[in-house]
Amino acid sequence: MTRCVWCGQPIRQTVTLSGLWRFGQQRTETVCERCLTRFQRVTADHCPRCGRQQTDRRCCYDCQRWGANSLTNHAVYQYDAAFKAYMQQYKFQGDYALREVLQQELVRALHQEDYDLLVPIPIDAATWQTRGFNQVTGWLTDQPYFQALTVRASHKDQPQSAKTRAERLMTQQPFRLVENAPALLANQRVLLLDDVYTTGRTLRHAAAEIILGGAKAVTSLTLAR
Amino acid sequence: MLSEKKWFGRQISEPPSHGAGRPALVPVGTEWCCQRCHQRVRSTDRLANGTSYCRHCLQMGRLTTRDKLYTIPEPNRFSHRAAATLSWLGTLSPQQQQAAQAVLQHLQRRQNHLLWAVTGAGKTEITFPALAWALAKGWRIAWCSPRVDVCLELAPRLRQAFATTSQVLLYGGQPLPYIYCQLTVCTTHQLLRFQEAFDWIIVDEVDAFPLRSSPMLQMAIQHAQKATGSHLLLTATPGPELQRLVRRRALAVTYVPLRYHCVLLPQIHVQIVWHWRQRLENGRLPAKLVRHVQRYLADGQPFLLFVPHVADLRPIQLALARVGILEAVTVHAGDPKRQEKVLAMRGQRIPFLITTTILERGVTFANVAVIIFGGDDGVFSTAALVQIAGRVGRSAQFPTGEVTCYCHSQTRAVLAAQRMIAQLNQQGKRLGGRIR
Ligand SMILES: [Zn+2]
Ligand SMILES: [Zn+2]
Ligand SMILES: [Zn+2]
Repeated sequence: MTRCVWCGQPIRQTVTLSGLWRFGQQRTETVCERCLTRFQRVTADHCPRCGRQQTDRRCCYDCQRWGANSLTNHAVYQYDAAFKAYMQQYKFQGDYALREVLQQELVRALHQEDYDLLVPIPIDAATWQTRGFNQVTGWLTDQPYFQALTVRASHKDQPQSAKTRAERLMTQQPFRLVENAPALLANQRVLLLDDVYTTGRTLRHAAAEIILGGAKAVTSLTLAR
Repeated sequence: MLSEKKWFGRQISEPPSHGAGRPALVPVGTEWCCQRCHQRVRSTDRLANGTSYCRHCLQMGRLTTRDKLYTIPEPNRFSHRAAATLSWLGTLSPQQQQAAQAVLQHLQRRQNHLLWAVTGAGKTEITFPALAWALAKGWRIAWCSPRVDVCLELAPRLRQAFATTSQVLLYGGQPLPYIYCQLTVCTTHQLLRFQEAFDWIIVDEVDAFPLRSSPMLQMAIQHAQKATGSHLLLTATPGPELQRLVRRRALAVTYVPLRYHCVLLPQIHVQIVWHWRQRLENGRLPAKLVRHVQRYLADGQPFLLFVPHVADLRPIQLALARVGILEAVTVHAGDPKRQEKVLAMRGQRIPFLITTTILERGVTFANVAVIIFGGDDGVFSTAALVQIAGRVGRSAQFPTGEVTCYCHSQTRAVLAAQRMIAQLNQQGKRLGGRIR
């Protein structure tokens, strides 16, 4: 018997005909149905620039303030209490097993994106030491990606989550391109991947570097907004 | 030297000024064993950088194969050990006194002991003479419970009863920092941070969730206890495991079948309501139940309405509103206003609460009646039903009251609960228990 990786409850494996068609054999589920429905999807009524859930499809106030520095982001889920609780256990308590909760959903979300090269947002060396994993690449299964960015050594700041919005917007460029990046980025449409879109500052810093590296276009996908 | 107290009898991942730690995870075959919670770490519970980590006790802070645990053996070095005295002014009933004597004797012989005391027996006070004796000897003691509400309710009472003893309250999410004290009141989870610390551990509501089904927590008690120490288990409804140990004489037991006010336990009365579940799905309640609720409201009789699941709260509240009963307030484990609502009920600012089994134990309301709706549902175990019935008639001023169980059919659990209450009352009668 398998137990849900998140809530620990036993999972009933259901054999469906369509499942047999598609994969030839059944995938063993590791997340229960109740846990899979804890998150709220972003519906069609969202900001066209940042993907934020709204009641209409107009550009949101935050995106208007970014003005010409625009970036198109898509978000899968709303950043609500359930998603925060998930990130608390996965990223902050460091429960790497919880990466499985979103792996299947990310496969679906990436299918809907139009891009040539996937670039996940990196973590700095100190975080790699203490956390032991990059929470973004943890969600990737077999998808090819290129770690084009790395965190500058001088960027030993307090964590983003400890800052106010104003402080976050003030931060200096934390990323630089890895050595062989320009060769791989040239003329490519790049999709940046991150966990949560909060102010959009981090993703814009990353996008700026990617463009400097010679990419043709940059968009982004986050699991939550 | 002062700061070393933090490590006395504990094992934490923070290193002290000197002293070597031991690995937090030790290899066992191809897997690892966590030295804090003593559970197996599966080979698949591994981080991207290759280190394994323990998921079982993750909420206490993650431990990996790179971490160490540090401890300083418990020295029993307390600031005011000479002055430990009982500042409680109440008196014990003859039955309580007898039980208190038994608890003290087992403690002095350092034997593990079960105190099987009916709901409302005053089991906390029964432990006071033994507690006073142990504190005077300079022993380090933990009073723990799987239920945080039990700890929260108990801590101020112990502080009052042993005013000169240093005490600390520990539970998950507690805002205050840890301090080294002679008496620790904590949830059973918190015992995971201790290592051969306590001379005596009292486990309150030993049959409650999650302790009853968690080998990790059961083991935590063993590891927090000194090799020379012992424990006292408290419950009104021991589970089959404990009852088996008692029958095999592997665990000493003392019974307190009579409440401190010497009035017998209220028996559960069953009312059969066919297909209550289907009727509820159509937004209706049995007419019998509605009349019952109306009678209590008209008489000004406070009551608790127990229902099987969180999902049943809202439909029942709506069904009552349909027949004009608008005062219903609901409560469940995840309710952020839980504490507030319980206080409103205790202060009789609301006439009744619709509740899940969360209020089955650890809470006291004076002069309350109980209705169990859907008593045939699997969540109402024998222990749960006996505990729920035990909410009634707890105060000496109102020692009686009604317990009514509405169900589609009388389940084995309901029959067993009635049988347990009848047996306890038979023993109680022999000790001079009265009907009212
Ligand atoms: Zn689950
Ligand atoms: Zn926007
Ligand atoms: Zn552990």
